[in-house]
Amino acid sequence: MERSWWNYELHKRKIVSFSLLLVFLWSLTSINWNKDLFHSGGLNTAKQIGAAIFSPDLSNDILLLALESSLTTLSYAVAGMSLALVIAFFWGILASGVLFSISKNNRYVKRFFRGHLGFMRAIHELVWAWLFVASIGLSPFAAIFALAIPYGGILGKIFADMLEDVRTEPIKALEAAGAGKWQTLMYGYLPMVRASIVSYAMYRFECAVRSSAIMSFVGIGGLGYQIQLSLDDLQYNQVWTFVFFLIFLVLLIDMWSNFLRNQLTSVNRAIKQLKTSVFLMILLLIGSWLSIFTIENANLSAVFTKENLHYTIQFFKGLIGIGEDQPAFLSSESWANALSLTWETLLMSIIATGFATIAAIFTMVPAARNVADGSLTLAKKWHGWLSFGMVRSGYIFTRAVPELIWAMIIIFVFKPGILPGAIALALHNYGILGKLLAEVIEDLDSRPIRNLASCGANKIQILLLGVLPATLPRFLTYILYRWEVIMRTTIVVGFVGAGGLGQQFKLSMSFFHYTDITLFLFFYLVLVYAADFISEKVRLVIK
Amino acid sequence: MSEFIDIKKIGKVYERKIALSSLSLSVKKGEFIALIGPSGAGKTTLLNLLAATLPPDQGEITIDGQLLAEMTDQKKRAKKIGIIRQQFDLIGELPVIHNVLAGKLSEWGIMKSLLSMFFPQDKQDAILALTRVGLRDKLYERTSALSGGEQQRVALARLLIQNPEIVLADEPVASLDPARAEDILALLVKIASEGNQTLIASLHSVEYAKKYFDRLIALKDGYLFFDLPASSVTDAHIASLYKLKEQA
Repeated sequence: MERSWWNYELHKRKIVSFSLLLVFLWSLTSINWNKDLFHSGGLNTAKQIGAAIFSPDLSNDILLLALESSLTTLSYAVAGMSLALVIAFFWGILASGVLFSISKNNRYVKRFFRGHLGFMRAIHELVWAWLFVASIGLSPFAAIFALAIPYGGILGKIFADMLEDVRTEPIKALEAAGAGKWQTLMYGYLPMVRASIVSYAMYRFECAVRSSAIMSFVGIGGLGYQIQLSLDDLQYNQVWTFVFFLIFLVLLIDMWSNFLRNQLTSVNRAIKQLKTSVFLMILLLIGSWLSIFTIENANLSAVFTKENLHYTIQFFKGLIGIGEDQPAFLSSESWANALSLTWETLLMSIIATGFATIAAIFTMVPAARNVADGSLTLAKKWHGWLSFGMVRSGYIFTRAVPELIWAMIIIFVFKPGILPGAIALALHNYGILGKLLAEVIEDLDSRPIRNLASCGANKIQILLLGVLPATLPRFLTYILYRWEVIMRTTIVVGFVGAGGLGQQFKLSMSFFHYTDITLFLFFYLVLVYAADFISEKVRLVIK
Repeated sequence: MSEFIDIKKIGKVYERKIALSSLSLSVKKGEFIALIGPSGAGKTTLLNLLAATLPPDQGEITIDGQLLAEMTDQKKRAKKIGIIRQQFDLIGELPVIHNVLAGKLSEWGIMKSLLSMFFPQDKQDAILALTRVGLRDKLYERTSALSGGEQQRVALARLLIQNPEIVLADEPVASLDPARAEDILALLVKIASEGNQTLIASLHSVEYAKKYFDRLIALKDGYLFFDLPASSVTDAHIASLYKLKEQA
């Protein structure tokens, strides 16, 4: 059959991209583009904050405080991750179904645990933190549990996927040698996925440090807390000192995890360095838990008391509206309100994804190594490495700062609403997307591009004809993935007043309007699941 | 001597293709049998049926007077039947010793298996087995770092530890070069004869089959083509076995 020009298969990616672009442009119309978006004097504040980057406060007191806060942030991240690994281990094994023989029941057990893991990671760590604080009070454990649950959810899911994808021949061989289910787990499944799961956990560890920094919201110290305090005091120079410490910490972990991942997947492992890393990990683990129990004064028995049980029960009763005259989920007014907030949140996520994508697409070309050294376009320019370095450090900078901290800063410039939230989300995701997209270009087959270049195509033509068509499917996939993550995070930037469900969520928490919380959580979950569903379907279409 | 393995009219059908059709065979204890025939003749299916990793659609298999279908205890079955395939059957990430000791899993309980991960149990047995296959010095090496031939020796060492009465081998030397292939095959036969085991192996190479085995069973398109002592298999037999349909 001859293919005509109007062939769906031929154009589906363009159609998808074009539709996504239209959705983004349409979402922009929901914002009133006028001066009212800014605080009076907001632009001046922006200038001050911007200028302060170049003169961070480097006084001894602040540096010492920043170091101490970094250690606190790190110790919570380590403690949260260690619990997350325990959750991931057990739930992952149960969700993979490798312990059960093939039967109908197995399917239900798997589905139950997979669903449970999905629920754990659907809710952002900071929302978990709020829920824990409301039920067990301000305690280091509220923060640690809040970190452990969503990270346990994502690690557990990946772990289960890895266990399911294990090669079956060695497992069958073990079974033929008389190994039972537990023995195939110990002698087959676990050794086979060990390297991959450690790599993935290390990759997640970097994210956990960022999450730990924003746990200041539930009263734990650390870098996020100091940033918040300095912002409240309008000490922008100090703000940047703490932000730089956070970036440094994230970079350090990133480098370590990169090193370990390369080592674990390569054939010639440097055993000595691996041993040092293991030793370092154990040290970190012990040190972190020790500092949480001593310096942070955490007390596990103080968490599980009769009083707390009472509060927890009260809280859950509150959530389901027992003893409430007018539970929010029975009032049509509350539903209408929640619906409009949900709509706002959805728009925020779309605008954020759009901003991040546009910024990333405009910067990704100089950020690719093969463009910087001229090997892709056969045109080596003196400024190649300079622009590479600048864009790449911009990526690192925006990526290392969590969305919430961007939101805290931006809210000084913009009035509350969905725009500041979208910008905060876009800034953080710009760094991530930019890096991912630049890596896609680095993996490009350079021959067609060189051909275009030698035909005399200019940069824009190369981008449109050479780079975009070859990279579009992977770009779209990454953009959709980021949209899923952004959707989970929208609620969080709302906490500092950047609009949407999050803002009302926080207000209702403060006023103990727990039935409203139930309603907001419901809509939040609907959004998150819907985003995952839509993104999955669209990704299938463009495959 | 009574029949040790008795195969009665077994058949197996995959979706549309007939893999085995009403096959009957009997095997005496201690016999060395090579299964030969073109690809897709049903050799692997037959071995999988014997290993009970696949249930037959028709017919039944009796081993030592007991119906195979009724031997549901995996641990007891592992003492009766062991199987070795290509070298992809090992856990590459584990040190050699654990891959060898996996042959003990049918005897060990869960706690002992777990303990052995940290402090290898029955270590002497593993050392003995590895010495017999010539890999004494590779005890703590990562299995994936070994060559294909060495990995197949590790699999043999596991089989030594497991020590089943019947050894099934599915193309045990398919992915090795000729020199190593013959090496491994000779070792497999030596081990099986020393252990007084019954050996059934599928092979691509008729030459090796005639050299190392007593009895050759040829399958073609799921049917028994011939079943003869190795010495009476002629070139004419082989030629007609491997002849393509178009030429027939």
